[in-house]
Amino acid sequence: MARALRIAAMAGPILLGACGGGGSPPPTPTPTPAPTATATPVSYQVENCFTQTLPGTGGQSMRSMIVPDTLKLDLNRPSGFPNGRDLDDPVIDITLAYLFLDFSVSGQSPMTFANLPLNPPRNDKPFSDTFPFLAPPQGTPQFAATTGTSFDFRTDPDSAYTSVDRMGMPAIATALIGSSLKTTYNDANPTADAAGQFGADQTLQLTHLMDAIGDDLTDLGLKICARTS
Amino acid sequence: MRGFLRPMPVAGSTAAIAAALLFVPGAPNLAADHLDPPTRTDLAVDPTPDMPADIADIFAWYAGDTVRVIVTFGGPNDPNRPASFDRDVLYRIMISTAAPADTPEVVIRARFGRGKNPNEWGVRFEGVPGVTGAIEGPVETTLVKDGVKARAGLFDEPFFFDLQGFRESRSMGRIRFDNRRNFFDGNNDTALVLEIPKDRFANATTPLGFWITTSRIGGQL
Repeated sequence: MARALRIAAMAGPILLGACGGGGSPPPTPTPTPAPTATATPVSYQVENCFTQTLPGTGGQSMRSMIVPDTLKLDLNRPSGFPNGRDLDDPVIDITLAYLFLDFSVSGQSPMTFANLPLNPPRNDKPFSDTFPFLAPPQGTPQFAATTGTSFDFRTDPDSAYTSVDRMGMPAIATALIGSSLKTTYNDANPTADAAGQFGADQTLQLTHLMDAIGDDLTDLGLKICARTS
Repeated sequence: MRGFLRPMPVAGSTAAIAAALLFVPGAPNLAADHLDPPTRTDLAVDPTPDMPADIADIFAWYAGDTVRVIVTFGGPNDPNRPASFDRDVLYRIMISTAAPADTPEVVIRARFGRGKNPNEWGVRFEGVPGVTGAIEGPVETTLVKDGVKARAGLFDEPFFFDLQGFRESRSMGRIRFDNRRNFFDGNNDTALVLEIPKDRFANATTPLGFWITTSRIGGQL
């Protein structure tokens, strides 16, 4: 609890407040001037971030969650990201916690960022509990006519098509795959993931992310999953 | 409340273009899957981005007696633009139900087709567990067959995330997230939605593993 309170107190000025403040909107935040002191470069080793046990996942690690890159749903466990993904799950804040935090530390959990929250906590339009679950579209778009009864569908075999995109876990292809491998990754399949084709790049990309904000998280009183050398 | 949470100065009518401009070409950008891979779907990199084949998200969860699967694509899109129906794109929802977890036992294929009159579009789902033949009918309509509900159409963009904060955090080396700023507010996606009885997966021997692929006839745009 003490750690959680410390995080909230220190994060406030940086996170720029949370929903529920009421009253008039706060002033536009002014970027904090960059510090003039030169920090000693820190070299992060991120392997522990991929291998530590993630709370609430039945013993999964980040690596087993993202390799192969599929969205796992165990019908015998409560539904909710990362066990499946519902529309209102705060997947990015949870994913950021998985990528950055050390869960051997008391008080840190997959919900550490979501409880602040770090990112917007909900969609701008409410979802529905009933089919089709998504909110109606924004604006005044032209809808397709619903009067048709006969349609001209292609019947070509899968082999006639050229790959464009693939996705499993949210944000993995976008955040943990570098530019030089993006098309390769999207053309590949989970079997290539399982064979380790992209493991080195995922380590490299997470190291870059850790280089960017690992020290800030430490300054906020959080223990990061990366180790320093 | 949501107005208070939306200080993002990106007009809805230009959000899709702004999204492309805000991305650093080729650099990792923490979106769900929107505009990825950039060389095929990001206007900042590709002058002919393939919006209909650009996966935005996949959602899969269960509640009560049903499993719900949603695939969004073609977004975040201007709220005054129509849905991204394209006859030449194949959507495949892959589901692994047994080891190994990297191969699918279930492949649901979805395609769009034009009707006989202007602005008529239909959708066809094949391979849905427990459904004999295909589920087929007009878009923007809830289709029901053999206990499965299916729909394709235009919806609000369901993803919420401060993309600008992530980009600034990465480039400036400081945490810059702002939980009042959702880059995806005010935009739309096209979506495929399925609700399948949970017992259709009763024979699964592992947790279900979902992924989505898109492909285009005739090569990439």
